[in-house]
Amino acid sequence: MQLRGFADVQFRASNERDVPSTFSIGQMDFFITSRLASDLALVSEVVFEADDQNHYSLDVERLLLQFSPSDYFDIGVGRYHTGIGFYNNAYHHGAWFQTALGRPRLFAFEDDEGILPVHGVGITARGRIPSGKLGLRWIAEVGNGRRYGDPEAVQVVVDDSNYKAVNVGFLLRPERVPGLQSGLSVYHDKPASPSGRVNQSIIAAHVVYQNGVFEQLNEVVFIRNTPIGEAATSTTTGIYTQLSRRFGRLSPYVRYEHLDAPQDDRLFGTLGRISGPSIGVRYDFRDLAALKVQWDRVTTRRGATVAVDGFTAQVAFTF
Amino acid sequence: MSASSTHARGAVNVLCTAVLLLLVSLSPQAAPPAPLPPPPSAPPLQASPARDHDAIPLVFVVNRKNPVATLSVADVRMMLLGERSHWPDGARVTVVMRDPDEPERDAVIRLVCKMDDRSYTRMVLRAVFTAELQSAPKLLGTPAGVMRFIYNVPGAIGYVRASEVDDSVKIVRLSDAPAGAAFGFTLQMR
Repeated sequence: MQLRGFADVQFRASNERDVPSTFSIGQMDFFITSRLASDLALVSEVVFEADDQNHYSLDVERLLLQFSPSDYFDIGVGRYHTGIGFYNNAYHHGAWFQTALGRPRLFAFEDDEGILPVHGVGITARGRIPSGKLGLRWIAEVGNGRRYGDPEAVQVVVDDSNYKAVNVGFLLRPERVPGLQSGLSVYHDKPASPSGRVNQSIIAAHVVYQNGVFEQLNEVVFIRNTPIGEAATSTTTGIYTQLSRRFGRLSPYVRYEHLDAPQDDRLFGTLGRISGPSIGVRYDFRDLAALKVQWDRVTTRRGATVAVDGFTAQVAFTF
Repeated sequence: MSASSTHARGAVNVLCTAVLLLLVSLSPQAAPPAPLPPPPSAPPLQASPARDHDAIPLVFVVNRKNPVATLSVADVRMMLLGERSHWPDGARVTVVMRDPDEPERDAVIRLVCKMDDRSYTRMVLRAVFTAELQSAPKLLGTPAGVMRFIYNVPGAIGYVRASEVDDSVKIVRLSDAPAGAAFGFTLQMR
């Protein structure tokens, strides 16, 4: 068994009314792996984190028993990060891995007011497709969907419906351009909410390039919600782009995000339009520890327009 | 240079070393020679594509029972980064890396993975973290240790200097090695 930890400490100040500047401890993430056999492994993430009331709780964020008999078929059962888009599967609960300070708003965790089903409980499978130098890969998942309007959005023990969430996708990693990945995924579920169930389809596309020095991430997600028994469909659009280049131990970065939810959306109607840039720099002052400082402006349009400037400094490390 | 002549040269090296050791051990005043101190201004090794005749060839080696005789640079890169985890016969790939700061490791990471050591370490950690890789590469400090490990683990792959190869492992030819290289890549004194 191997144990690795991730944690971060940060300070945030902003011009948001009635929100004081704050030091905070981020998630303390224990990543445990164990090789049970040559083709069987356990992957788990146990996270301690505090809520807005400074109360600590423990979450088993990932628990996956993974069977990998070949490069063409790999299957896991348990709790996992869904294969929607790129960011959710590339970055989990360790802030140290991410170039920027935090996740794009689009991929926020469910308990952080995230709108996507970031976690799944069920079966996740993936593998390569014989495609020569194209590097085609597939992913397929089935599991409990998420709930909306419930503090426990991830249905870990009891699913409230016989209908299971399904996600399928394809990735392209061409050998001629190492570090380039593009992908498309389609997710479907019928999640429950305080105002009833909806038919939900999530279409995500991405083109990313990462080569250890240069990084460009681009993703767009369309969330189509149709209340069951009604004809009207609303589409929430989320998009972000991130650019970074490393100069020695310094990695300046810039990110722009945009999230637009129609007012008549049964699940996200109160979100409005949220957009804005984040500009920051990451300094890897040690190989396993990084200091990040970031300025961001978040403009929210819900009837009135409110813009909040924030400054955040974070030390993220692994141990 | 063909695989058979490299094997032959390796075997001759081993044989000469064995004879020398035997003569030394039979000598009444046999004692291991004191190690020579490094030259005061030894230039650091720098990894670069193969160019000069006095470059130091690196070779990739696998278990002798591994049926694979040829790999592309892309194949090796995918193995080092965890994107390919099985050999064609189904055996699991086990990557053996040298310790950080070893010039051979620096050469392989720069020339095969096209990145520096810090980026490589982070990408491997992330591959383990995202469950794309079931375990990080095995770290070993000496070429003898690398070859001993590969001898014992059927799916292992590692790299050593061509002059260090012995008969316990098999050299894999890189199908798209740069022109002029013995196999794969070379280290070159700065």
